Amino acid sequence: MNDFIPGISYSIDNTLGSLGFFLPEIVLVIGFLVVIISDLFLTHKNKQICFILTLITLLIAGFLSFTSLNSVSASLFGGMIRLDHQAILFKLLICAASILFVLFVRFNKALQSTGKGTGDMHSILLAVHLGLSLMVMSANLLMIYLSVEMVSVGSYLMVGYSSRNAKQSEAAMKYALFGAVCSAIMLYGISLLYGFTGTLDLGDPSFISGILAIQDFSWGLAIVMVLVGIAFKLSLVPFHFWSPDVYEGAPTPVTAFLSTAPKIAGFALLINFLWVFQPMGVGGLSNSLFNFNSVLGAVAILSMVIGNFGAIWQNNVKRMLAYSSIGHTGFMLMTLFVFSESGFKALIFYMAIYVIMNMAAFMMVDEIEERSGQKDIDGYKGFGKYIGLLMTGMVIVLISLTGLPPTAGFTAKFLVFSAAWEAFKLSGSPILMAMIMTGAISTVISLFYYFKIPMNAFLRDSESPSVLLPVTPKTYLSLFLVFLLILFMIFPSLLLRLL
Amino acid sequence: MSYILSILIFLPLAAALIIMILPTSFRERFKYIALGTTIIQFIISVFIYLNFNNTASFAGVNKENQFQLLEKVSWIRLDLGSIGKLEIDYLLGIDGLSMPFLILSALVMFVATLASWEIKTNLKAFFALLLLLNTAIIGVFCALDFFLFYIFYELMLLPLYFLIGMWGGVRREYAAIKFFLYTLFGSVFMLLVIIGLYFSVVNPATGNHTFNMILMMDPANYLDGSIFSSITDQGILGISARLLAFIVLFVAFAIKVPVVPLHTWLPDAHVEAPTPISIILAGLLLKVGGYGILRVCFSIFPDAALSSAWWLGLLGVISIIYGALNALAQTDLKRLIAYSSVSHMGFVLLGIASCTTEGVSGAMLQMISHGGLSAMLFFLVGMIYQRVHDREIANFRGLALIMPQFTVFVMIAFFASLGLPGFSAFMAEAFSLIGAFTSQDVNGLLPRWMAIAGSLGILLSAAYFLWTLQRMFFGQTRLKGGDEWLVRLTDVNLREKFALIPLAALALLLGIFPGLVFSKMNTSVLAFIQMISG
Repeated sequence: MNDFIPGISYSIDNTLGSLGFFLPEIVLVIGFLVVIISDLFLTHKNKQICFILTLITLLIAGFLSFTSLNSVSASLFGGMIRLDHQAILFKLLICAASILFVLFVRFNKALQSTGKGTGDMHSILLAVHLGLSLMVMSANLLMIYLSVEMVSVGSYLMVGYSSRNAKQSEAAMKYALFGAVCSAIMLYGISLLYGFTGTLDLGDPSFISGILAIQDFSWGLAIVMVLVGIAFKLSLVPFHFWSPDVYEGAPTPVTAFLSTAPKIAGFALLINFLWVFQPMGVGGLSNSLFNFNSVLGAVAILSMVIGNFGAIWQNNVKRMLAYSSIGHTGFMLMTLFVFSESGFKALIFYMAIYVIMNMAAFMMVDEIEERSGQKDIDGYKGFGKYIGLLMTGMVIVLISLTGLPPTAGFTAKFLVFSAAWEAFKLSGSPILMAMIMTGAISTVISLFYYFKIPMNAFLRDSESPSVLLPVTPKTYLSLFLVFLLILFMIFPSLLLRLL
Repeated sequence: MSYILSILIFLPLAAALIIMILPTSFRERFKYIALGTTIIQFIISVFIYLNFNNTASFAGVNKENQFQLLEKVSWIRLDLGSIGKLEIDYLLGIDGLSMPFLILSALVMFVATLASWEIKTNLKAFFALLLLLNTAIIGVFCALDFFLFYIFYELMLLPLYFLIGMWGGVRREYAAIKFFLYTLFGSVFMLLVIIGLYFSVVNPATGNHTFNMILMMDPANYLDGSIFSSITDQGILGISARLLAFIVLFVAFAIKVPVVPLHTWLPDAHVEAPTPISIILAGLLLKVGGYGILRVCFSIFPDAALSSAWWLGLLGVISIIYGALNALAQTDLKRLIAYSSVSHMGFVLLGIASCTTEGVSGAMLQMISHGGLSAMLFFLVGMIYQRVHDREIANFRGLALIMPQFTVFVMIAFFASLGLPGFSAFMAEAFSLIGAFTSQDVNGLLPRWMAIAGSLGILLSAAYFLWTLQRMFFGQTRLKGGDEWLVRLTDVNLREKFALIPLAALALLLGIFPGLVFSKMNTSVLAFIQMISG
């Protein structure tokens, strides 16, 4: 016990010194408490008080992150978390997704009309957001596990938030069970790694040396187990089974959030984890200790194939978007093979555009569902005539999701292909070529299913005009996002110069 | 003056936005806005034609400073870390290979807009999409930066999908998505080649990785050891990387041309598309394919092009013969003309593959000539279809007696298309075949039998056009619809004459004075031949 006494003052100094870099998270914690309290005492005066407070909290946290964008990287809290330029970019993306989610909830009829109100949803969001921020920055195996669990528990609650029918309960239950199993596997992997190396700190040199001392099979197994937990968050094949059911069953704003923010954090986590196995100064994952190229390449190919082919057979729009997001995740994986600045730039740009287009797509789907009651692609027949503006916006979003000009989706896709090409050039491994080819072919396939929506809306006529309720602000919000998609195509430097 | 190409490209886009903003009560005016736009474009393009400098110091092709009306604005600069900097420009310019297409585009767009009078539903969307398509097509012919080129190239697909899908015939959904998927399949792989190219090519002036197509044509700009470098020819999975890239690009453009066996989207798209869109498809879209082969495939990968010239020539001959035989077998007039397009575009490929001055000149002239003639043919079919909603050849007989003026126009179009001397197609096909014939002596690329087999195509086209003429227009008038059709089959009206006379005039003019086109592009063609034969 006495051994630790000299360390105490150092620890305290370190912690106090780290707090300055931790301001956005502190704001989130304060916001979380304020929202809980005002939900208890103030909601009867103003129904939207939680919404306003959450929005303010997110804006402040985002602003604080933004101002520290160009600060040097720092290891905080005794190496538990690591803050660098890239982590801040990921945090900003998550912040953008959260802000859009809050606005989405505000104008979603189903959530606004639940008996419990939306106060809890907002406080859960802030907690999840905090977890996501920690996930992005985590540099310690324990921190990884804690943040992943924090996000998962919050997400289970969000999915089951307004569960009124069996389908929604089933979705929440499936998500919780699947998530619990995956995080248990991950925890087991972490404990194995700790046993092999005697440290939880990913930056510790004894971590690598400890692993090298163990048989290949043993540490390979442990790492694969950790990757299972991350793959679950990213809904990569073969851990994707939950996503179509959950996406369909969850309230649409939650689906939109789950398909964006946790994926961003999941990618950040994957990068943090893989970074350890990256020998200094050598480019390309093929040179690292464990042959990730084949494992990740196979996962990327499978995700693209299963995501895109799965989407073809879907009639429910949200399910289709769920499968397509599996495909997108597989596509984004292609950027990791270069494991260099250009790869991360491509990934972050793609994610930024992905947040915009996915949020816009779900908002439009929700708007259409609320106004006409249609959840299926078949039901969109003739909508081009009744809600022409919204459907036109939707076409642009779908083009962007496919990755065609004149939308930012094309620029993003182009950068990802560039990164993958670079990786292929560096390593020349055939699996990367196969991956690039799969990416190209899946673009063509995705066009086929995305365009079932405009095909129904514009090319077909409905027998009877559907009942349509008046426009909600979601239409304008999503059209603003559509505008961004075109703006970032013409001026990609608006985003790229931040990277 | 220096922004004239931008004006030409974005004028229709501005008009489309105006149409979008105007309330639907102006519905009847939309077509006049569209027509006015195309007339302005035509005037501008004639102005460009008249002021075009055809001396050797403005040949263009692979020298940026020789391009005319050059516009260069830096667009995207991105630092990619280990690879270096990326450089994308807004780069427009024309030379003798692209300038003729500007006039053709304006003319065909004008005719297509006149043909749009038959469109009765959802006029706002129709004209907005038509103008967007116009922007994309002109953009493709002017863009010299590969990124920009690709954007315009892909931008053509989207309006076409909706134009075919929303205003098309019975099987329009199938035709529209088939067309879209087919073309996208080609262009996605093209994107991969573009990425490989910019990794390999460096702008010597700035040291950045560039998308400039003109710089891509110079082997000296390729990085040593890069994937598409011609010195250290690397392989991808055992095949030469440059040859593979050439094949990928060729397939992408061959789908557009279309070259047999990648042509199967064309009959469906043509038959289901409304008349104005058929006109644009045949008149311009197919030419984008031919232009792409010249500007991109041959110019950037001349070594691979020369080594595969024999196969390209073979594909050209197959397209000529197969298209013509299919046309002979058709019972639907529009399908017949669609297949005749496949056959006629085969001459373009044969001419290009010969890599001789005569052949390439002939191919260029054939594209211009066929652009006008196919627009005319589809317009004529559209006239019959609009009147009686039928276009089965067997359902009509003796039309010459009831529609004499219409028959005159049909005869002009048919005779011009089958290559009667005095019309543009004769000149064009003759030059293509001369190119193919002399190729064996000049550069030894194509054997003589390809020229002979190609000329068989002219014979076949005479057969199907004359047979159709005989079946539909001569003899006693006998119509499937009886007296009702007799009333409805009125002769050519004033608007239709406005559309048909310029096209007929073009066919005659180019047939008698092919120098109008040849003189303007000759130096560019010579520079092109010199570049590819190294």
